[in-house]
Amino acid sequence: MKLPFTRILIVVAMLACAAAPLRAENKPYKRTVESYSLPDVTLINQDGKKVRLQSIMQSDKLVVVDFIFGTCTTICPILSVGYSNLQRKLGPDTNKVHLISISIDPEHDTPKIMKEYLKRYQAKPGWDFLTGSRSDINKVMYALNAYIPNKMSHYPLTLFRPAGNNKWIRIFGLMNSTEFLEETKKAGLK
Amino acid sequence: MKGLGKTLILLSAVAACLSLLIVCDATATSASPALSQQQKLKLGERIYREGILPNGEPLMAFVKGDLPVPGTAFTCISCHLRGGIGSIEGGVYTPPTNGKTLYQPLKKIHKGVEIKYGEDPFRRPAYTDETLAEVLRTGTDPVGKILDDVMPRYLLEDEDAPLLIAYLKSLSSEFSPGVTDTTLHFATIISEDANPADTEAMVSGIEKFITDKNGMANNYRNVRTPRDRMMAKAMSTSKELELRKLTLSRWILKGAPETWRRQLEEYNRREPAFALLGGLVNGDWQPIHQFTEENGIPCIFPNTDFPVISDTDWYTLYISKGFYQEGEAVARFLNSKEELLQDTRIIQIVRASREGRALSAGFEETWKTMSHNPPLTISLAKEEQLSDAMVSKLTAKEEPLIILVWDGPDSGRILTALANGKNKPTMVFASSSYLGKNLMTLPEQVRDFTYLSYPYRLPQDKVIDPMMGKAINFQVGDNRVAQQTYALVLTLNMAVMEIKGNYYRDHFLDAIGMSMDRVVPLYERLSFGPGQRYASKGCYIVQLAGGENPQLVKRSDWVTH
Repeated sequence: MKLPFTRILIVVAMLACAAAPLRAENKPYKRTVESYSLPDVTLINQDGKKVRLQSIMQSDKLVVVDFIFGTCTTICPILSVGYSNLQRKLGPDTNKVHLISISIDPEHDTPKIMKEYLKRYQAKPGWDFLTGSRSDINKVMYALNAYIPNKMSHYPLTLFRPAGNNKWIRIFGLMNSTEFLEETKKAGLK
Repeated sequence: MKGLGKTLILLSAVAACLSLLIVCDATATSASPALSQQQKLKLGERIYREGILPNGEPLMAFVKGDLPVPGTAFTCISCHLRGGIGSIEGGVYTPPTNGKTLYQPLKKIHKGVEIKYGEDPFRRPAYTDETLAEVLRTGTDPVGKILDDVMPRYLLEDEDAPLLIAYLKSLSSEFSPGVTDTTLHFATIISEDANPADTEAMVSGIEKFITDKNGMANNYRNVRTPRDRMMAKAMSTSKELELRKLTLSRWILKGAPETWRRQLEEYNRREPAFALLGGLVNGDWQPIHQFTEENGIPCIFPNTDFPVISDTDWYTLYISKGFYQEGEAVARFLNSKEELLQDTRIIQIVRASREGRALSAGFEETWKTMSHNPPLTISLAKEEQLSDAMVSKLTAKEEPLIILVWDGPDSGRILTALANGKNKPTMVFASSSYLGKNLMTLPEQVRDFTYLSYPYRLPQDKVIDPMMGKAINFQVGDNRVAQQTYALVLTLNMAVMEIKGNYYRDHFLDAIGMSMDRVVPLYERLSFGPGQRYASKGCYIVQLAGGENPQLVKRSDWVTH
């Protein structure tokens, strides 16, 4: 029975490998607290349903927003893996957080493409991918100080909006899963 | 901190040892039947492109230190791209991962450019199979340097690592066909019965680009002083073109489309082209699409309104989905009007023609993905008219009714009959492209209920530079093929610079996929992305205003979901 032994070794190696990158220069992210007000726009989610952005913000959940696109190569996969791991780590508490990804390639990102994207990242309910007209998405990007004129020059940004609060926590840079969970707790997850 | 450092170094050492243990253990257990080199490469390709192991399971990995990811969400191709030459996106530089680069010492890189001089210009020595497997597993390169933590650490077992490594060795290992020491050869495909004015517009546009580019390269070669030469090189990221002249040949197709494949294979055998530029045939593009797909030859912006619609095909980049896209736009527009769809019958009248079929396919397939029932279809044979009895039947009841008229320049006849029926339909949709020049002369009485798909920038709209917010004046000419060729030349100009001397066809397509969105006179936006194969994704729904020279009035955004 050598196969189980191999599997055990791999699991141990996974843990060891996971620790190894800490030796590398850990790129810090920048955290600030900002005040934003969102435009009253209606976007489309992965099911093709219209979603009024301000209605999402009126919920009693912690809202997390990032900007991605379906065919992105580098940053978006990491942001999205961060979302899916957060959902996994939160377990039953997942329903206390509403994760939002907004497309910065709205011409290409149709509900069908967004649905497939979420499936690839094993998204659970509570993570919505939104598209819409470019003008509406530009309004949202401007409002959140996240305007990206061209998707190929985008940057990693994660925004936390604590429930019932107009203050936003702005994370510029990429977080690992521990940092993401810590920031989620700091943003008011109970 | 020192203690932490020691602990981490220890952990890394443990990781390295465990990797070796895995190697030993798996070697002992590996009992897979002997595979041919071709089969091994295919399995390696699957790991590289899809993150799927030979046993069908996803390759597991970690990013950012502790984020576990399935390799299917974080494949090699995600960042290193299909050609393996890497990318720069969102401020993250991804180095090449083709064997040719990995198995050579790597020079230091500054802003994506190799540093060739200095005491120690090497960042790392050449990889060996062992050190390459090690870096894939632990992120530690041969000199002990740790890779950026956005590079996943892959949990590769011993029997799988050689498959991936063999594939990397084969990836972008030799320049693609069409490249010699002195030339980079392109071709354009033209059928002998293609419209002569369009052919001239296309060929002259491409030839001008090639002449200009060769002229620039010639200037670099002929600068007088080393300082001028240095300046000229610094000014151009396409300095590799100094060594190679761009050339273009015309692959003229004669006779029936069934014979094209044989002719194309013969041209390709005689004078292989690195890529096919534009193209113009009187007929379906499908046989040429299939030829390029099966021979792995990029084809950029063929002038066709009938592209092959595919989510997965790789080698042909179309400017849009043509007529299909107009049908798609009508479906999206209607889907966004929930209030209109309550108890509304939708009927499509489809002319038996390529245009009619493409328009109805675009509508039906999109409509289906939106979970709507298919529309009732009335087919019209080539010369058939919509009978009076059918018009009476369609307009008999006073009820919400939407009719899609996928008919040609004579659509006005059907639209007028519907306007004169007992009850006018709520809305009628038609294609501006299929109406052609009769678009602007649609009878006044049909204009209030007729909505038209219009896949171009509106004539009265200015081109606004998205970066500067100012209007741009273009001098491209009215001919649509000339306009499309202009878009081709812009895209090509960028691509030949961005490939930076890596003359691999897949990398050429990767470079286009990674390029910025473009503003051109004909379309609101051309956008790209890895694997995206239709650059213009929009289509307005418009109505005609009144009068003899009516304006087009927008009833939708450029893109509707």
